[in-house]
Formats: sequence, C-alpha cells, structure tokens
Amino acid sequence: MKTYSETLYDSYGQEFSVDKVYFENKTDHQHLIIFENAKFGRVMALDGIIQTTEADEFIYHEMLTHLPLISHGNVKRVLIIGGGDGGMLREVCKHASVEHITQVEIDNQVVDMCKEFLPKHSAGAYDDARVNIVIDDGANFVRNCTEKFDVIISDSTDPIGPGDVLFTSDFYADCKSCLTEDGILVTQNGVAFMQLDEVTTTAKRLQPYFSDQSFYCAAVPTYIGGVMTFAWATDNKAYRTLTADVLKQRFNAANIKCRYYNPAIHAASFALPQYIVEALEESE
Amino acid sequence: MIHIEPTSQAIHYQQLAKQHGTPMLLLDCDVIAQQFNALGNALPGVELFYAIKSLPHPAVIQTLDALGANFDIATSGEIELLRAQKSRPRKTIHTHPIKRDKDIRDALRFGCTTFVVDNIYELEKFVDYRHRVGLLIRVSFPNPDTPIDLSRKFGCREDEVGLLIIKAQSLGIHVKGLSFHAGSQCPDSRNHVHAIQQCKGIIENVQQQTGKLLSILDIGGGFPVQYDKPVMDIEGFCAPIREALYKLPEHIQVFAEPGRFISAPAMTSISSVMGKAKRGDTTWYYLDDGVYGSYSGQMFDHAIYPLTLFSDITQTETAVLAGPTCDSIDVIAENIEIPPLNIGDLIIGKQMGAYTSASATEFNLFDKAKIVAVNQIKEAEDNQAENNIVKFAE
Repeated sequence: MKTYSETLYDSYGQEFSVDKVYFENKTDHQHLIIFENAKFGRVMALDGIIQTTEADEFIYHEMLTHLPLISHGNVKRVLIIGGGDGGMLREVCKHASVEHITQVEIDNQVVDMCKEFLPKHSAGAYDDARVNIVIDDGANFVRNCTEKFDVIISDSTDPIGPGDVLFTSDFYADCKSCLTEDGILVTQNGVAFMQLDEVTTTAKRLQPYFSDQSFYCAAVPTYIGGVMTFAWATDNKAYRTLTADVLKQRFNAANIKCRYYNPAIHAASFALPQYIVEALEESE
Repeated sequence: MIHIEPTSQAIHYQQLAKQHGTPMLLLDCDVIAQQFNALGNALPGVELFYAIKSLPHPAVIQTLDALGANFDIATSGEIELLRAQKSRPRKTIHTHPIKRDKDIRDALRFGCTTFVVDNIYELEKFVDYRHRVGLLIRVSFPNPDTPIDLSRKFGCREDEVGLLIIKAQSLGIHVKGLSFHAGSQCPDSRNHVHAIQQCKGIIENVQQQTGKLLSILDIGGGFPVQYDKPVMDIEGFCAPIREALYKLPEHIQVFAEPGRFISAPAMTSISSVMGKAKRGDTTWYYLDDGVYGSYSGQMFDHAIYPLTLFSDITQTETAVLAGPTCDSIDVIAENIEIPPLNIGDLIIGKQMGAYTSASATEFNLFDKAKIVAVNQIKEAEDNQAENNIVKFAE
C-alpha cells in the first residue's frame, strides 16, 4: 500500500493512504503532490506538509473569509494573498455585495494546476467577472500597491518555505497601508498547540500597526494538533464584540450557505484556550 | 600495490574503454547491494544511513533505497540528489554539525527533522524550529589509530553533553540521542566499543540527573575496506561492536552511517596512458586521470588504491605513473618496478568508489571521469507509479 507521511514534526505526524497520484512535481527545489485518499478526497501536500484536502478545506476557507466579511458588514473590495487552490476565492465570491477581488499568487502554474487537479476548490470562481488574478510575490504586491481593500486575507504556506515573507513585520505594515479605514487583515497562523511561537511572534509583529489585534480559532482535521489560529488585525475594536443578533442579521442578508461557519461559531471563535491567552500575556 | 596481469585479461576493460572512452569509472550496483547487506548482517538491528558524501550518485541511491536503506545527508546539494530519486525524507538524518540557517530550512522543507549539533551556538540555531526537530549531540572520541581522525574537527567532550542537554531543555529543544565518529577506515573496532561504552554511561547519567530520556545512539562509520593493506573482515570487525551494543538499555535504537564501506569496492577506475617520457633512468607515464581527478582520494583521503596493469613482458623498469595536469604533485605512483607500457595501455584502479569522484576536481579543465553504472535495479514499481502520474508541463 502506498502511503504519504507528513514530515512537519520529528516526533509526531499523520499518514495517508494514497489510492492514486494525480500530480507530482519534484523540481524547483520543492516537492508538490496531489493524491487521492479514501477519507479526505484529493489531498495536496508541499514539501512534506499537508496544504489542503477536499474533505476539510471548507472549515479553513469559510473561517478566513466569512469572519472578516460579516464582521465588517460593508465589504466592497477584497485582497487574497496566496490561495492558489481557489478555495478562498470561492468563498469570497459567495458575497454578492463584494464588487472586486484581487488574488495575488506567486506562480501561475499553481493556479492552473489546482484548476485541473483540485477543481472543487475553486468551483468555477476563477471565471467570476469580479476577480482579478495578479501573478506576483504577495509581499512585493502589497509593498507597491496603491489600491485600498476592505479585507485582506493572507492564505500562506508554513513560515518555513516560500511563504516566509508573509509572516514578516514589513508585510503586515504594507498590508495596513493597503487597507481602507476600518479594514481587516486576517492570516492563517498555524496550530498553536504544536507551534505556540507562531502565535506570540505574529502578535508582536502585528500589534504596532493595528489598535485591535487578536486571534480566532477553528479545528481543521488535517492541520493536526488541535485548533488552528487565525490572526485578526484591524483598527475597529467594535467588530469583535458584535452581538449574535447583528451577526445573524448580516449572515441572513448575505444569504450564504456554509458547512462550518454560522453566526454562533463566529462569535465563539474569538474565545481562546487558556494556554494561548497566557502565552500572549507572557510575551507582551 | 600493483598487479601485473597478462594482456589477455585486459579484454573486458578494453571493450569498456572503447565503448565509453577513458578516463571512466565503472560502478557496479550489485557490489553496493552486497556491501549494504554484508554490513546489515554484521550489525543486525542497526539502522544503516548511507553517507551520501562518499559517492553521491543516483544509481547508488536507487540501489540502496530499494534495499530499504536510510540516508545521511550533510548539505542541500545532497538533499536535491535524494529528492530527485524520490527517496522518502523520513529516512534521512542531517549530520553536518555546523549549519547555516538556510541549510536547516532546506532540510526541513525536504522533510528531514533529525539534526546533529555539538555546541551551544549550533543548538541556539534551532530555537525557531524547536517544535519540529529532534537533535543528536555529537560526542568526540579521538582515535589516533585511524588515517583520518574525525573527532578533531567536530564533537563535544563527554563532560559537555550534560550541559548541552540542560541548555536544550531550557530552550525547549528536543535532544533525542547521541552520535559519534570513531574514525575513518578504522583498523579495528576498539574505539567504537569504547565510544559505545562511554555513551551508555552518558545516557544513563543524563537520565538520572535531568530525567531526560535519550533513545538514539548513532555509531557513525569507520568500517574498513581493503586498499593496499589487508583489513579485518566486516564480521570480525563488528563482533565486538555487537557485544557492546547488546549491553545498551533496551529502548535505545542504534544508527550507523556507513559511506566508504558501501561505496569503495563498487567502483573501478579505467584510465589510459596518454604519453610517456624517459627521464634519466625512470620512465614517466602520463595517464588521463590523476590526483586532481578520480585519484583525489590519494590526496584527501589518504588512500592508496590497488592498481592493475596488463603486460606479457616479464622484465621491469623503474617508472612513475603521473596524472594529466600540469602540476608536479599530480603523481599516482612513483619508484615502481613495472614492465614497459605503451601509449593507450589501460591502468585499472580498484576499490575506487569512495571519496574519489566525490572529491575530484576539474583542474586544468580536464573533465572528471565519466561514471558508468552497471547492474542497476529494475524500477518496476516506480515505472508502474509513473504511469499514474500526470506530469506537469515544464
């Protein structure tokens, strides 16, 4: 039986049975593979780390999209950094009120490959007329960008590897300057139980630029080790304390169908486990 | 050590030389497999990590991968070689005691999570990666009996291990075991046995004093092969090691990092006489390979390779075998008594797999000898998988 072992940690890891390999590329100093697994459907892994699977990607993409968009309440322009698989784009496109979406992907081949081998992720979103795809380094794009966005979503890889620049202080500062007043930046920020440093480091790097910085959580099965954290950064403190009624009203108005996200999850997801709260307090 | 054989014995080599040109190196993958199995049989229960540096060739990697070998990597270049051969990253350890940040990141991206350190500065480099790695601490056990003492440049003192482990614990970095290198081409295994005994003591002390459980002992390499002098056979060499390992606590997993033992006997050099000159009473023969090429091990590795010449003449004369470059140090053998050779005659170098091509240069812009691999494994399973893979357009 063929298997694929994640190599993220030395002493702990997950293994998948591989029913069929759809795509494998071991060049350009990296290893990318897309394969079929009985439980998770199509699985994409880069450099020994699971990036996304068909079965559980909805949790990740819904939480990075609908939290900021529903909280903001009047999002017209969205910037997605990374997200070549198209899952984030699919979720953002569900919001009829959004007028423009720019997605910055470093490699056009990733987009083409995902359209071909992970078609359910984008589900046609790349054909949406509101979408503008830019092929550029995400950090470079925000550094030179003169446009403004209401929400920026950073859908990066692990900080060790090609996505490392998307975890730097400079990147966060540049994102701030691309946001409208009261705009929101959200980023994927790893599994806190396994890599608590990622939370405290991100907090330290974001806080100088945003008056309200926090994290919210969701458990994604193939990002193993407990809840994943998402970084939240904005200058509008009110977003995090919106009442359940307001969230419900906005969600109903948006008329979006979700499988993980709902207004109750939204409100609850800002509650952090005590070990994260303490780590953040200690690092201050 | 020079063997003279009748010219009738040269036919096989002449055919190869005609087909591939000289200088060339003939790599026999069957020998790679035999050596790996021989060491595996001599050290049952020990996980073998082939030291890629000794002969970083794809056919060697493929052969060993198919036999279930693990790999010892030291650089990002060696990682690229493994990646190209589709070897599984879980089967690797990164053994260079001194690394740049990029080296660590490259190895992590490949999927290697075991690293070796021997000092505090190196340990501190892992703070950012502490949740992802397990470290081995390399301990120094100097061995004056070996041609290359691998405990001079690297390895901490035995009494420093405890401090490094306490430091690692305070930094939140997981140390999972110890490693040592008893020397290269060891005449006997006394230093291995000594090092294993000492490490056993260290492991027990560490557990007593800090509560830290170490679970891996990497006994390095040093397994000898025969060049110009006879050496112990591998079974006899390993018997005392087995005995010492038997006394380790049961939970300890043992690794070894053989390089030379696996690769040295697998490659044969075929070079030819490209010129000759009578200088005084001595005949100088200029070969198309020398110490800047495949014979680099005579400079860097302190090896003297067994040579074979072909002649039906019984008289001998004093001669020098020199390499092709303009440097006067480029001499393979001098003051030797051999029958007269002609331009175009072949010189065969045996046991030339380890640290030969690997450390050869292109000085004078002479090309390195071409490696011709024979008896490569059939990659039936791989080809099967290949059919299922849709290759992305480059």
